[in-house]
Amino acid sequence: MTMQPLEEYESVRTWKSALSREWGGDPFAEDPAKLIALQQFCEFIGEDPDVIVGHCFRIRKSDGEHVISAKWRSFYAEKIKQFRDRDHQPEPRRSAAAVMGFLIHNGVMLQV
Amino acid sequence: MEFQELVGTRRSIRFFDPKRPVEQDKIQKILEAFLRASCAVNAHWLRAVVIKRDDIPKAELEKMKTPVQAVVIELAPVHIYLYADLGVVNRVQGARLKELYDANVVAASHGWSHKFVDEIVYPHLLKPMTGSPHYPVMAAFDCGVAACQGLLMAFELGLGACLTAFVAPVVNEIVKPPQDWLPLYALNIGYSLESREAGGQRPRPPFEEQYFLGQYGKPFPRDPKVVEQLQQSRLIQAAAPQPGRKEEIRRLARQLGLPE
Repeated sequence: MTMQPLEEYESVRTWKSALSREWGGDPFAEDPAKLIALQQFCEFIGEDPDVIVGHCFRIRKSDGEHVISAKWRSFYAEKIKQFRDRDHQPEPRRSAAAVMGFLIHNGVMLQV
Repeated sequence: MEFQELVGTRRSIRFFDPKRPVEQDKIQKILEAFLRASCAVNAHWLRAVVIKRDDIPKAELEKMKTPVQAVVIELAPVHIYLYADLGVVNRVQGARLKELYDANVVAASHGWSHKFVDEIVYPHLLKPMTGSPHYPVMAAFDCGVAACQGLLMAFELGLGACLTAFVAPVVNEIVKPPQDWLPLYALNIGYSLESREAGGQRPRPPFEEQYFLGQYGKPFPRDPKVVEQLQQSRLIQAAAPQPGRKEEIRRLARQLGLPE
């Protein structure tokens, strides 16, 4: 899968600005492992960040509201667990937490 | 801890020490606190099933998780599943009310007699009540009163606690409750990793918007002197957000491998 540099994706910019608002500074410069984890996750599932976030929302037919897609959220939660539980990962929980943080700061309430 | 401070110090704790078990006697004390709660018609609707997290098969624990409580149930070493036993009123048929009479708790002074319970209270009030659509609400209210006592007891014992919803179809497979038990909430308990202040007292709506004197719309007057007394007794404590709380959350998130 070919992807743009991660920081060009809108969802990654949203994540970055949320972290920056929370903690100040440049979160990816201070902790490059976060972006690396997201990159690895995208490669793991073969989707780019904006596609992942886009899948997590849907328009509800009954009232046209923008809502979380429970189906897709469960799908990604499962994928995050698989990503976390891969063999030979140096810091599997931390990498999974970074991916969850990416989704959470894009408005996808998620715990696994 | 003094009662007012206990009420003021309770917080919903969301970071538990996942490896520190809760002593059996502390769990029992929480259950004993449930049982001492005020309860309409002495029915005691609240039923509780204690499950130690590590006794739950891993696959089942995963199925019990939802996007809003997964972390709490993963970290809390003990889950107490709370149910309302909706069948109790028709099983005991007033017997627990008569027990109150025999124990000299209720008496003729307030109109009570065995005959009144047998001929009026159970057949004409309680039994029809159990068919009312409002009945589960009444039962759940009583269960909430009892659950709150156990919740406060957890803090009195130096534990942390958090009430969460639970996935009844999954939990019921483990608990195997009777059909007439209504699933309510889970009381998750364990030793808190959060500081005692846990970020301060949670934001609350204005007192005057919540409570009234005489009729709706006329706020109960809030006396600043009483507020001051409650600050001294620590029922009212410093409100969130408190300095250092963000850093505390970040430290705990890193310690436990949670998102920031």
